Amino acid sequence: MSTTTLAARSVPEQRRARRSPGGPTLSRPGFAWALPATLFFGLFALAPLVLVVVLSFTSWAGLGSPEFVGLDNWQRLARDPVMINSLWLSVLLTALGVLVQTPLSLLIGVWAAGPQRNRAVLSAIFFLPLLLSATAVSVLWRALLDPNFGVPGQAPWLFGDGNLFGSRTGAIAVLVFVGSWQFIPFHALIYQGAARAVPAVLYQAAEVDGAGRWGQFRHVTLPQLRNAMITSVVLMVVGGLTTFDTVLILTQGGPGTDTTITAYHMYEQAFRSFDFGAGAAIALLLVVVATVISLIVVRVSGYDRMRSTMEGL
Amino acid sequence: MTVRTRLARVVALGAALALALPLTACGDGDPAAGQDEIRILVYGDATNKVEKQLVDTFNKTSKVKAVLDTIPGADYQTKLQTIINTKQAPDVFFNWGGGSITPFVKADLLLPLDDMIAKDPGLKANFLPSVFNTAVVDGKAYGVPMRGTQPVLLFHNKKVLADAGITPPRTWDDLLTAVKTLKGKGITPIALGGGDQWPTQMWYQYLYDRVAGPELFAKALGGDKGAWESPESRRALELLRQLTDAGAFGTNFDSVKFTDGGSPTLLSSGKAGFELMGSWNYSTHHDANPTFAAEGLGWSAFPSVPGGKGDPRNVVGNTNNFYSVLKKTRHPEAVAEFLKLQYSDEFVQAQLAIGNLPTTTNTEKFLDGATNPDYLKYQFTLVKEAPSFQLSWDQAYPPAATTTIHQAVQQYCNGRLDAAGFIKAMQSLQAG
Repeated sequence: MSTTTLAARSVPEQRRARRSPGGPTLSRPGFAWALPATLFFGLFALAPLVLVVVLSFTSWAGLGSPEFVGLDNWQRLARDPVMINSLWLSVLLTALGVLVQTPLSLLIGVWAAGPQRNRAVLSAIFFLPLLLSATAVSVLWRALLDPNFGVPGQAPWLFGDGNLFGSRTGAIAVLVFVGSWQFIPFHALIYQGAARAVPAVLYQAAEVDGAGRWGQFRHVTLPQLRNAMITSVVLMVVGGLTTFDTVLILTQGGPGTDTTITAYHMYEQAFRSFDFGAGAAIALLLVVVATVISLIVVRVSGYDRMRSTMEGL
Repeated sequence: MTVRTRLARVVALGAALALALPLTACGDGDPAAGQDEIRILVYGDATNKVEKQLVDTFNKTSKVKAVLDTIPGADYQTKLQTIINTKQAPDVFFNWGGGSITPFVKADLLLPLDDMIAKDPGLKANFLPSVFNTAVVDGKAYGVPMRGTQPVLLFHNKKVLADAGITPPRTWDDLLTAVKTLKGKGITPIALGGGDQWPTQMWYQYLYDRVAGPELFAKALGGDKGAWESPESRRALELLRQLTDAGAFGTNFDSVKFTDGGSPTLLSSGKAGFELMGSWNYSTHHDANPTFAAEGLGWSAFPSVPGGKGDPRNVVGNTNNFYSVLKKTRHPEAVAEFLKLQYSDEFVQAQLAIGNLPTTTNTEKFLDGATNPDYLKYQFTLVKEAPSFQLSWDQAYPPAATTTIHQAVQQYCNGRLDAAGFIKAMQSLQAG
């Protein structure tokens, strides 16, 4: 990490760095500077994680002391059909989220990167959902999608009987849609920033070579946005796997268990059924799965050896 | 090492220590508090007005002072569970009886009230028995009713029924006919907030009670898994299937909720004819549309079913809320005095004034002065004469069972589970 040039570093800084090749290596501040943050991380991330590991081997309802039960919770998890289903659902919802959000936020972000005033005004309006809390967004859409008094009631040609929250497909579609509505602005912002950093010379060169609008997008913009895209996808994956609030408010995991994703299943076990041992086991599993998937994304995408998109400029 | 970096280390260490200090400070609590007071923990909502008033009345005469704490809204059970076995535990707390206190009784945290009742028989005799029994666990009383009763009634829109030439159904066949007539007119026969799941559960509770009487559920709750696969159980499921097959709830009921005003609006706007709902439905309509509540809203008891063993006078719902007492309370005498206030005239009048229907024997004489005497009298008579008042299933079982029950009732009703699947799901529940 320390030897490669970070993409985020601004161009002038790189130039300066190149002017003194083999110069003095940067002296980095001592570990002491990281101590407060490390302590915080230890107290609020590592310590709870260790406690969760311990708790996952116990039976505890919040009353009395946790009772050590060995692998009981884990064996029950392995047999729990809702659990296995919830993992698939989490992955499915995350994948659908990435597939829907990436192209849309890419297009909007690149469009919004333009210098025109109307684009600035429109994108300011478009970024509004970003300011709302997930809870507010979910409550809003729950009301808007009411089958009798919401949008579906007015548009039966599109929604049929409007049973969006009562069918598996409908409920999943609602979750993907609301998630996209809420988060596309954020990812569009990433792409907007990245698109603005693309040097104009590249477009000028492409124009000279006879590339049209599409050609410029395909051969200049897209490759230049590679690192932004990786960042955005990693954020979507991690965010998608830990989605909770929208499910809690929009579907409560229903109909039945059709949208009981892993994070919601954990909540149900721990805070509805007061089975904190099982809840802890699910939480741990979620940590492992999310870590593994993030690592795979990082590896496959080359995020860990991210090349500068400015090479040769 | 240069002076500069050493200084940096010292500063950083200092900052880290400063951050860590407040963390070690918590957890001690204040040992001085709680010597001469009893702490009363209640569910935070509009009824707190009455609880506050009674606490004030109590404090006027008592040396040991009562302090009222409230936990707002839906988090109550979760918060209670996490503090009940700690130093912050209250002396007296609000609950729903049944399964909501069974785990605490099993953990030996609650005080049986039998001694208090022996000293003051009024603590039992002054309450309607079908209600009082909800907080009896393993033959011992653990709670005293402290709010209003909430039986489930079959509500209807008077105008819709009159236009269709229907009267409130007394039998199952009446109901099926009414469903057919309303459906023929393009009206959803019965509004159902299936998205909330517990409104769906109300249909099961009544059908099981009408078909088999309260014994079947009592057996199942006691751990007899065979109860769920008995012929009566299958019969009740069959009746419910008749209703869904007849299109009684329409097709999109799982997207409708009671809690966000969806199903009440269906009823009040005349898009639906009936709704099976708890007695709070009246205040829900009263808040949204007072004219409809006063003139358009009708109610009746759940119909009888052919060949059913259950008494048609039985009701289901939330019997009442209860005050239970922690075993480790330092002032049991003061607590007993406080509990006595829960059958006082002052209590009854204060509850009636905010629209709750208390379940004390002296309630009846105050009903004429209430704002909606017809509705309250109907309910009170219904509850008083009911041979059995079945507590809602999700409250009769301990909280651990709620999710499974809710999912099973929803999935059988919308056809995702067949009878065998429903029975299997209910058999997976741990005994209450």
